[in-house]
Amino acid sequence: MQAAAGPAAPDRKAREAYFTASQGELIWARFRRNRAAMAAACVLLAIVLAGFFAPLLSPYDPTIAGRDRDYPNGAPQIPRFCDHNGCSLRPFLYTLERTRSIQTSFRWVTTVNTEKRRYVQFFVPGPEYRLFALSFDLPGVAIDIPGIAISTRLFGVDSGSIHLFGTDSAGKDIFSRTLHAIWTSLAVGTIGVLIGFVLALVIGGVAGYRGGWIDGLLQMLTDAVRTIPAIPLFMALAAFMPAEWSAERRFFFIATILGLISWPTLARRVRTHLLTERNQEYVLAAKLCGASGGHVVRRHLLPSFTSYIIVDLVISFPYMVLSETALSFIGLGLKDPVNSLGVMLQNVTNTDVLLNYQWYFIPVIFFIVLVLAFVFVGDGLRDAADPYADHR
Amino acid sequence: MLMFLRFAATRAVMALVTLLTVSFIVFSLMALVPANCAERYLAYKTTQGDQITIADIRAEESRLGLDRPFVVRWVAWVGDVFLRGDFGESCILRVRVSQLVGDKFLLSLGICAAALLFAYAIALPVGIFSASSSRPVLNNVLRLVSYLGLALPNFLLALIIMLISTMMFGDSMTGLFSREFRDVPWSLARLADFLSRAWLPVFILGWSATAFAMQTVRALVADENGKLYVTAARARGVHGVALLWRYPARHALGPIINSLGFDLNRVFNQLPIVAVILVLTDSGALLLEALARSNDQQLAGAIIFLLTASIVALNFITDLALAAADPRVRKSVMEG
Repeated sequence: MQAAAGPAAPDRKAREAYFTASQGELIWARFRRNRAAMAAACVLLAIVLAGFFAPLLSPYDPTIAGRDRDYPNGAPQIPRFCDHNGCSLRPFLYTLERTRSIQTSFRWVTTVNTEKRRYVQFFVPGPEYRLFALSFDLPGVAIDIPGIAISTRLFGVDSGSIHLFGTDSAGKDIFSRTLHAIWTSLAVGTIGVLIGFVLALVIGGVAGYRGGWIDGLLQMLTDAVRTIPAIPLFMALAAFMPAEWSAERRFFFIATILGLISWPTLARRVRTHLLTERNQEYVLAAKLCGASGGHVVRRHLLPSFTSYIIVDLVISFPYMVLSETALSFIGLGLKDPVNSLGVMLQNVTNTDVLLNYQWYFIPVIFFIVLVLAFVFVGDGLRDAADPYADHR
Repeated sequence: MLMFLRFAATRAVMALVTLLTVSFIVFSLMALVPANCAERYLAYKTTQGDQITIADIRAEESRLGLDRPFVVRWVAWVGDVFLRGDFGESCILRVRVSQLVGDKFLLSLGICAAALLFAYAIALPVGIFSASSSRPVLNNVLRLVSYLGLALPNFLLALIIMLISTMMFGDSMTGLFSREFRDVPWSLARLADFLSRAWLPVFILGWSATAFAMQTVRALVADENGKLYVTAARARGVHGVALLWRYPARHALGPIINSLGFDLNRVFNQLPIVAVILVLTDSGALLLEALARSNDQQLAGAIIFLLTASIVALNFITDLALAAADPRVRKSVMEG
């Protein structure tokens, strides 16, 4: 980057581009060179998109409405292209036949008929659903964006049903549930991160900019909150949620608690930065021009470390998802009609599941990949946002 | 020495103030939850078939002192806790909280401390070694392991180990004691039985702490490794372990000691979840029970307060230890 090369025109151009690049461009250029982080970013984008388009991608409704009565606790069905009867370009599944007779002591027995193929179809019609829809019904606010009504699903089979990841004990399709769960977990994380972010900016900003006794007081509060172990506290608060609350209210409550606990780390960072930065000349200049305190913080001080804040948000995201999962996992967070990754993990502690229905663990893989992707992207961003990284 | 005592005294006062703040936060949160102790207890009694009236609730409230203003109740609670170590009575069970918590809290504190010790026993040597080794393969493997420590949640690890031990040994390794030792008083045999089972929660709790600590140690030592004084020492002919231990590792230790309290916080966070899976009878599980089954705010508040108090105490001790051990810190303390 700093090579003292000859005055060749392309080189000069590159250097000019380097010196005139904005901070965002520089970060992006450094980030792009980090292959692990780029790969993680692609995976992350894929997962987020999969979560967003979950209704389109999943063949069935993730709630009890989409259950498959004839296939509870069913194993994953992997589409195949070839078998003893030859190959086909269109993937197919075998037909399952469910019979009950005196030979089976009148229990339902499922057999696979490898002679009868069921072909996978794309863009099949299904029950209508809404994409981009948003509807809350909270005590204070009621938002209702109808979205676009679509009744096409990405794939399905010509007869019977397809369960890529198998089904759970109620016959709900695990593939559909997983996709919807990703979106819910991300949404809880986002709301939590945003609440924590605003609190951190306000508290850290005031403490750092004012200094003096206000700073001392706020620091004491920050330290106290930081020492309280978060998950036991979540548990304490989450357990007092009245059982009759709707799924949405629980969801917002959990997200809010997560946010209310998570601010101290970032607030400390904001404060430290402001304490060093507020004595700089550009701040003095702004003050002499008659700018108010809020204006100085918002227009001059905060933009000076936006990249740090963004990086910090990305890094704290997996912790949010982890907390939500842990809470839901022990049964104090979200509950069954809502699909979140934690809710889906609730069932795997069962010995029956451990020994017989291992496909319940498939969402776990998504969960691990999601957290790992976030961590890698966060690390890559941190390295990229560090202006001294090149000179080490 | 006098200066050091003064420093210790200021730190002690600060720790006390933090504890008071925490107690206020915890107490307010417990007071904010819908329904108070009296209503809860009487609601529980209705489920047992008794008829109760509003007057009963009011009488119970005044018996428990719940009709006093909020601040007065807080002062009374804090006073009892600090002066007599008394957390009051559990809402539902009508037993003293200290009796319920008892040695369960000490047990879980011991397990957490052991997990922390385990984490650093592995993280320190491995972290220092990987920071000074230039082999990229080793570094990448360590990075992946520490990422997995974050991404593979403890409860999942616990499940996997349980599954394996059920299949291999026919014992799911749950609980802190085998059946024959569960309710007998402490003895040498009971201690041996406890130790033969306690390693599993210690390992599982230590797992993510290890990954985290390893990353911290590595980053700190790598930072120090590039500094001029290390180069100077190398030029003087100091090398190998002697160099590492004499210079960069010692410097890196300071921030690590400083963050021990927050590491303990992180381990506490995992405790209830692991405790649920492994069916441990320590305060983590007790907390969950207090919350999930009976909504007992008195008990929950006491446990959260105790957890926080142990973190604050650890922070205080590490502050003192750091000032005693690190000449730079000592100097800044003595002069400022």
